[in-house]
Amino acid sequence: MILVCGIPSETPLRMVTSRLEETGTPFVVFNQREFANCEIWLEVNHGEIGGELRIGERTYPLQEFVGVYPRMMDDRCLPELSDEPPDSSLRSYCRSFHDALTRWMEIAPARVINRCAPMASNSSKPYQSQLIREHGFLIPEILITTDPELVRAFRAKHGRVIYKSISAVRSIVQELNDEDEERLERIRWCPTQFQEYVEGTNVRVHTVGDEVFATAVRSEATDYRYSTRQSGEPAELREVVLSDELTAQCLRLSQSLGLEFAGIDLKVTPDDEVYCFEVNPCPGFSYYEANTGQPISAAVARRLAAGPAHATVCSDAAQVCV
Amino acid sequence: MWLVLCSSSDPSGLWVYEGLRQLGVAPLELVLAEWLGYGSRWEHRLDGSGTHLKIVLPDGRVLCSSRIRGAINRLLAPSPGIAQRAAASDKEYAQAELQAFYLSWLNGLPGVVINRPTSVGLCGPWYHPSEWVYRASRAGLPAPVYRQNGHDAAELGYRSLAPEGAGTIKLITFGGEVFGGRVPDRIVGACVKLAHEAKTEMLGIELYAAENGEWTFANATPCPDLSAGGAPLLKRMAQSLTEGGQP
Repeated sequence: MILVCGIPSETPLRMVTSRLEETGTPFVVFNQREFANCEIWLEVNHGEIGGELRIGERTYPLQEFVGVYPRMMDDRCLPELSDEPPDSSLRSYCRSFHDALTRWMEIAPARVINRCAPMASNSSKPYQSQLIREHGFLIPEILITTDPELVRAFRAKHGRVIYKSISAVRSIVQELNDEDEERLERIRWCPTQFQEYVEGTNVRVHTVGDEVFATAVRSEATDYRYSTRQSGEPAELREVVLSDELTAQCLRLSQSLGLEFAGIDLKVTPDDEVYCFEVNPCPGFSYYEANTGQPISAAVARRLAAGPAHATVCSDAAQVCV
Repeated sequence: MWLVLCSSSDPSGLWVYEGLRQLGVAPLELVLAEWLGYGSRWEHRLDGSGTHLKIVLPDGRVLCSSRIRGAINRLLAPSPGIAQRAAASDKEYAQAELQAFYLSWLNGLPGVVINRPTSVGLCGPWYHPSEWVYRASRAGLPAPVYRQNGHDAAELGYRSLAPEGAGTIKLITFGGEVFGGRVPDRIVGACVKLAHEAKTEMLGIELYAAENGEWTFANATPCPDLSAGGAPLLKRMAQSLTEGGQP
């Protein structure tokens, strides 16, 4: 049995459940919006993990789940809680239910795509860049500072410089322009991240287990996800085939981060140098699949159906899931 | 230089600073979390060849990665000063940015760092008790049955699992040794294995005496009270810092 968690109408989730349905793989969806009609308990006893999850009328032993696809929204922001006061019992049940579910997923012997701890490397882009660098990828030059003068010198050196959040929150990439330079004094309040602009073609590589799907993206925008807003034109996506060496390098990177499913953002320069910007541990792959027809959701469904990994639980980013 | 990074409200961190100073670890700089807030000047760079850090503290001291040989890292969270100054709608964002920044610069520190940060904790892994119990069992430590249900308040999760009134002992594993108390060799081995498998150089492990007399897992922390390890632990830490590499 596969457990899928999130909002059923959300596109990536819907695509995965459609593939599970098509292949006749038994699955159940935990719809976060119906948390009030669900219950969970878990137990760790002599290193064995047990418990039950009730969804509506049906109760499932946790040991029955061989694969889990959590793609959950922040439970504090569920519409069902919008009119609830901060101390409401519904709000507190929602939080504690999600906490128990997450605790189970962190240690469950099932194949979880992905667990929270390995996903956390993406909560700090420059930290993740240090891990990426260890795998032989080039990384762009990065400056994080509270000193406006250093930023001006950095821009003078590189010509084109972008800025973006250090964390995974509000992560929209913008190019630093003259207008921005005028308000640089504000960075004295909080260290801010600047990065050299790298010319080249964006390539998103989705790794699912040992399968790889690469998509080249042509866009004039600084952040192609917001192409229409930033450049007035939508991005153009096409499937590409990576060299064997680059394929292996991407797979090693995902595995070393403990990610069963990852979206790796590369840029290939006109000189064929490969820069890696980040590894997204919860990729919204539907955009790429819809534009290229790459069967990413089918690969995720296959991976879930393949059952538990045989390695021990890996919630360390550096530990390899097999 | 070596750094001791801790908060002013961390007596254990201050004790280590004093102890290492008396053992002759020099130059040794005490860097309080509060000094890293607003008023410090930061420069943190990454490129293909390495990671660089320069901090100018409010008192004028300059901490530069080219001169840093190691650190005792007991930072639990970024200094709250900056995030507190943010507008209400930006507070959570500012906190996430600072946490992300600290994770990066701490990870980039050169030399021996006890402990290096992880993506689940600035001074080592902060696992939930459910995961520590699971890991402790796998490492061979007797552990209590852990139970949680959807009605248990999430914030109550992080606690010692020792029953009320039970006798407890707080051990510290560091570099493959156990400090702070005498327990059977089998327990010592399991404690070392637990720390090793959690990829944590230093780990505090609390055990309680179960009814059958067996030392049983109660809790673990990457930021233990180091004074429990006394002079032997201090000497080992000094050795690790000054000789470099694994102790």
